[in-house]
Amino acid sequence: MSAQTAGLGVAIALVALGAVGAVLLREVMRVLISLGVFLFGVAAVYAYLGYPFLAVAQVFVYVGGVLVLMVFAVMTARRDRSERPAFVSRHDVGSAAIAAGTGAMLFLGLRPLFQDAGFARSSAVSDLAQELLGPRLLAFEAGGVLLLAALIAVAAALRGGEDR
Amino acid sequence: MSSLLLGILWGVAGVLVIAGGAVIGVWWERKVAGHIQLRYGPQQIGPAGSLQMLADVPKLLFKEDIVPSGADRPLFKWAPLMAFAPVAAAMAVIPFAAGWAPFDTSVGVLFFLAVPSLEVVAILVAAWAQRNSYAAIGGLRAASQMIAYEVPRTLAVAPLVLLAGSLRPTEVVAAWRWWWLPLLAIAFVVYLIASIAEMNRGPFDLPEAESELVAGYFADYSGMRWAIFMMAEYGAVITASLFAAATFLGAGWPFSGALGVVALVVKTSVLVTIVMWTKWTLPRVRQDQLLRFCWVVLVPATLVQLAIVGVVLPWM
Repeated sequence: MSAQTAGLGVAIALVALGAVGAVLLREVMRVLISLGVFLFGVAAVYAYLGYPFLAVAQVFVYVGGVLVLMVFAVMTARRDRSERPAFVSRHDVGSAAIAAGTGAMLFLGLRPLFQDAGFARSSAVSDLAQELLGPRLLAFEAGGVLLLAALIAVAAALRGGEDR
Repeated sequence: MSSLLLGILWGVAGVLVIAGGAVIGVWWERKVAGHIQLRYGPQQIGPAGSLQMLADVPKLLFKEDIVPSGADRPLFKWAPLMAFAPVAAAMAVIPFAAGWAPFDTSVGVLFFLAVPSLEVVAILVAAWAQRNSYAAIGGLRAASQMIAYEVPRTLAVAPLVLLAGSLRPTEVVAAWRWWWLPLLAIAFVVYLIASIAEMNRGPFDLPEAESELVAGYFADYSGMRWAIFMMAEYGAVITASLFAAATFLGAGWPFSGALGVVALVVKTSVLVTIVMWTKWTLPRVRQDQLLRFCWVVLVPATLVQLAIVGVVLPWM
């Protein structure tokens, strides 16, 4: 087994470990750390597959931006002095339905756009920029809007969770 | 498997360099602070107190490692290492000699700017794990400050990338010309100020403000775990100074070969001293002043710098 394969195996294990932890753990900060491990694992997978720019962008945006925002929000949330915040109601069925629906829509919506022979599979940053800001711009932005819609759906599904 | 072994070897070397740098840095900071405050600093152990570090290290190693009863034990114990790892990782992409960096990647500059993000998470986790109001306020201050100052820091490095036409640090160093010094003066000053703020050092040390927050996000830490936070802080000072010396100041310029490496170390030492000098000279700013300075002064300044480089670039 080469170092490349071993590294990729470790990265995939991190992804799996982080995903399972994020779903099963109860204490909110540990859930967020598991999510961080998952996001970092995804970055490592990108790096081992030969896409270093995507890997660094993943750390920059998701670990450095999204995850920090979540941790920040948890720390500033109102809580009793002795309380260790945990999820009161997980809304498992609703969350799973939203995740599956978003995944399916992303897959079905984006697949035809990336099937043509002209798609350059290159790890060069300039090629990536040309693809994202050129012919794939609409798909890229549509994906972003879809994810935003999913976030709003999650917020709507979780509304009133604290009371329950 | 050789690349894996090389990676492990570099990891160990990086930790040793940062640990050694932290020990020397603490001694040097005490001397700098002493001279600024019209006193000698350490002078009892060894010539000019130079062996003071030999007394400091065992003290920290053997000090009791206290975990508060109400703390989240696993998070409390792991947070210092989470804060230290990104510093060691950032050091890997710095070009120490012409055309050579331990981890010479095509996105090295971006990597150097991205890894401090992990440190923000570690600081927030440490602050959370202590379940202590001082630590929580310190952690929130640290996070807001580090996230805000990432913007001018990244924008300050962008002109370098534009001029070099590459995100690979070794290529930035290879493309460097002496006239970048005056051209990128604004970016260099902004980078230095933003780096000091990112490292939570004075006059931007609000997250650990001793007089109001005890020690902020590491208030309840003691012994070796406290020392790891200190190592991370001094490691960040050394790493940020090394990066600035390599990319903004031309690495080994005007020398090459072994003399070039010496020149890089001298430039780095001068920058480290400036960071310490700043801490012991300027009073601590308020949180609102800190954030206003970032968004009202530093970010516009870097945009002006980008515009200047944008005008110059077509003529190159």
